[in-house]
Formats: sequence, C-alpha cells, structure tokens
Amino acid sequence: MKFILNSIRRIDNDQAKEHALGTKQSLEEKLAVGFINPKDFEKLNLVSSLHLKISIDGASVIVKVEKDENIPEGTIVMPVSLWSNQLSVVQNNEILYKNIVVDVEATRDPITKFEDIIQKLVVNK
Amino acid sequence: MKRFTCSGCSLLCDDIIVKSDGLFVTEVIGACLKGKERFDLVSAPNRITKPMIRSNGELKQVSWDEAYEKATEIIKNSSNPLLYGFSNVTCEAQEAGMKLAQQINGFIDSNASICQGKFLNKAKNLGINLTTITEIINKGDLIILWGANPAETIPRLLNKVLFSRGKFRMTGREIKTLVIIDPIKTASFNVMGVRDLALIIEPNKDIDLIRTLKEECCSADSVPSEGVAGIDQSDLKRLLLHLTGAENGVIILGQGVIQPHPDYDLVEELLELIQMINERQVKGRISLLLMGGHFNMAGFDHVALSNYGSFGKLEFKNNQIVQTENTLISKIEKDDFDCSIIVGTDAIAHLPQSLSSKLANKPLILIDNHSTTTSHIADVIFPTSITGIENGGLAYRLDQVPIELQKIVNPPNNLPSDEKVLTKFFNSLNQGGAK
Repeated sequence: MKFILNSIRRIDNDQAKEHALGTKQSLEEKLAVGFINPKDFEKLNLVSSLHLKISIDGASVIVKVEKDENIPEGTIVMPVSLWSNQLSVVQNNEILYKNIVVDVEATRDPITKFEDIIQKLVVNK
Repeated sequence: MKRFTCSGCSLLCDDIIVKSDGLFVTEVIGACLKGKERFDLVSAPNRITKPMIRSNGELKQVSWDEAYEKATEIIKNSSNPLLYGFSNVTCEAQEAGMKLAQQINGFIDSNASICQGKFLNKAKNLGINLTTITEIINKGDLIILWGANPAETIPRLLNKVLFSRGKFRMTGREIKTLVIIDPIKTASFNVMGVRDLALIIEPNKDIDLIRTLKEECCSADSVPSEGVAGIDQSDLKRLLLHLTGAENGVIILGQGVIQPHPDYDLVEELLELIQMINERQVKGRISLLLMGGHFNMAGFDHVALSNYGSFGKLEFKNNQIVQTENTLISKIEKDDFDCSIIVGTDAIAHLPQSLSSKLANKPLILIDNHSTTTSHIADVIFPTSITGIENGGLAYRLDQVPIELQKIVNPPNNLPSDEKVLTKFFNSLNQGGAK
C-alpha cells in the first residue's frame, strides 16, 4: 500500500535521549517504529505481533507499528532517526524528510537492527 | 544556586536555576525535558571522555597526542576536506572551524543548511520580517504554528510566547489567538483554547492554502465554499480575518513548511503571501520566527557573514574564500570530498542513506561529547566539554539574538572545548605536525 512518510521529532522518541540514556535495545524500541491511523492498521490486516516493512526505491526498513488516531489516513509517521533516514531522499539538491511516497506492507520479519544498518552503510572501511 | 542559560535547544532559556557544589550539578530547576536531558548528558553512559582511534574496525582509547597525530595525517592526506555540523557548538568554535577550513582548503557548512538556513537563504532575495521572542511576548496578538510542533521540539516556546503577560498588553493568553496548521494533530494542539483555530490540512496541500490566501487576501467573502486542502470555508474565513486583522502576528515555521517540492517553491510563495498581507495591513503586520533545533543553529550564518561576508556555507581554495554553487548535499552526492570533520552532530543518523553511506566510507574525524551513530563509524574521535555546562561562549537564539553561555562545572578529565580542539588542529597543521 502506498503511504506518505513524514519523519517528525517526538519528545518520547528522541534520538539524542535514546543514545544518551538508553541502550541499543531501547534505541530500536523507541526509534524503529512507525505510527499509523487505526483504520490503516485494519486495512493492512495488521496484528500487534506483525511489523511494517517500509520501502522506497530499493531501500527498506522493518519497524514496529503503533496505532495513533492523530495521524491522518494514508500517512505513516516515524521519529527522526537512523531508521527514518534510510527512507528519506535527495531531490533537486535538497533533502526530503516529509511527504515521501513509500510502499508499506505487513511482515513477520524482525525489526531492522541498528548494527545491520551500520554494516550496510560501511562497505569500504 | 544561580541562574544559567540552558543549551538544551535553540530557545536558550536564561532562567534555569542550577545548584552546584563546584564539581557536580546537584539540582536543575525550571528546565524542560530537553534541558534536563542536556544536564543529564554530563554523566550519561554514552559520554566520551577519552580520545579514540579506529583500528581493525574497533575503536580504541588512545592518548591525545596519538589522536591529534592520526587526525593530522588524515587532513594532510586530504585535498578536499568537508567540515560539517557546528550547530551544537559556540560561535567561537564555529569561527575556529572556519579558520581551519580556510587553512586546509575545505568546504564548511552547518546543520542550518538542511534546516532553517534554507528559508533565510531564500528570504535574502525576497525580504523578510523577522521578530524576536521579547516582541511576541510584549506585543503579540496572533501566533500561527505552521508545520511546527514546539510542544515537543522547543518545549518552553509556547509557555513563553503564548502564556506570558507582555509589557504593552494588559492581558496575556486571553488576547493571544493561537492558530495551528498541520496535517497531524500534534502535542501542540493540546494547549488550544476555545478562541483558537485548529486547522488540520491535507498532507502536502500547504501550497493550495497559500495560493488561496494570496488570491482572497482582500476579501473573506470570496473564500471558496468547498474550502481548500481539507479546511472548510468558515475556518478559512477565520484564518483570513486573523491574518489581516492582527496587530502583531507571528508565523512560527517548522520543517513541515520548508520541505522541497519539484513543481513549486513553498517558501517563496509563503514569503509573498506575508508581503502581500503586510502591504495591505493598515494597523499591523505579520512577522516570522524560524524554529531550529540545535542550540546555536542560527550562529553559524552570523559568524560566516561577519568574518567572511558570506552567508552560510564557505568554500576555500588557495586559502581564499571562493564563490561556490556547491552545497553540502551536492558535495556529498557527487563524492566531491575525500575526508570529513564532523563537529557536534550526528550526521550519519541525520542524513539520508544515499549521503550518509558516502560519508561513512571515507575517513571521518568526529568532535563530540557523546557517542552517537556517527561515532560508530568515525576513524578518530575527540571528546569535548559540554557547552553551556562545562564551557561558556556565545550562541544565537532562534530569533537571532546573541546570548552568552556560562560555564557551571569543570568537565571530566579536563576535556577541552570544541573550540580548543579545532584551534589545536589549526596550530598543529601550522607547525607541520601534531607533536
């Protein structure tokens, strides 16, 4: 299903706080997450044990899903983080952090781990 | 017990009471959650207190001399260095970074270039009415949050500008109208009262609203009956009346409005709308306030302008500043750099994967006070003191007002400030080596 991805700052899902006071586990718990409207939750046939695979142009991350009725239908919100920025794009020499059209599907695969993203990023060192 | 300025975000609240025994901060009173996190950073588990070098993929603690030697080696082997970050450091450190960039013929830019700096850059050509926090407190009667959620990003901003009683107003919150335009019902909506106006706009439709407002600027009677972008006719009329009737209105802009679009320029259209309203306003005006996250995001542009006469990014060749069309994004995207010096920011987590992967695969020197995603791939790490707690200096508040930050306690292991590390780089390279 096509969604509009918006990465936003949330005080409870803050990257700096999780780095400073959390653990790698809490980093994934708080930042590898997507918030969607409960109606979209139903449309995607999700249950709480399933995760979301969010993809764009070959890049993808798998995150935990949470329902939030304040999010409009068709929009997925992620906290600004390493996970959301695997999906943000460069367009006309500017970075698009919001209004990114992404594909979203339910998956049983595990959440993308912090180390997995780092390993993917570093290939020449 | 003394009052200090908080460096937790760009609001730089100057009313934080800190109790300290000279060695440790024992109590912080009046800080928001972000401010408290800033103070918690002093003894956070991820605080870096010793320099580190990556060897065989692993970070190892080394002496300062070894770290400077390694960094000097990287810089000397580079012909095209990139310096980036500089929003979480003092203006003095920004100036030291610019001097270093000039010395090593580098390209230097700050986080502002991918955040609020984009707005100011465009406003240079069109003109802009900026306002200050004090002016909003004292005179403001209309506050519009457009694509901005200060309740979670700059937590005390609304507390200051919305709820405080101004010098030139007999009343406070009672006469201030809050309008929020956002596709998401954010935490900032929670402070709205009955006179306020909540506008949930359809995602990516801000341009339709701006264009309608531009067309209908003179008359609320000609607002389209079907509404615009998910906002109905009566709310549109109320918005128009507020915009054209405010004596001292301010639009507080967040990232939501400055997102690029291939078919139009939202920032330019918004600036035109504000110009249009102000030209037709008889008794008042609309101003802007830009929200930046890092505590000295506004400072970099001021330092660059006063030292080099240039706004924002600087590029040097033969130790002279050159006019450049390059941007941080174009430099990284084209692989037009051979090493990076990242200062006080988590570039690897903040940039899109297409850019962060390029940074990650070239030598990277990190100057920061705590471990982040970027420290997981850095080749050399220089730990520094925490500005506003362990060292002082100048910073520019989000409304472009300079504020002096003070030192409260000594840093662990006598850690140097960001400015001192950058100056040491400069001196080491001048002397031809690190030792």
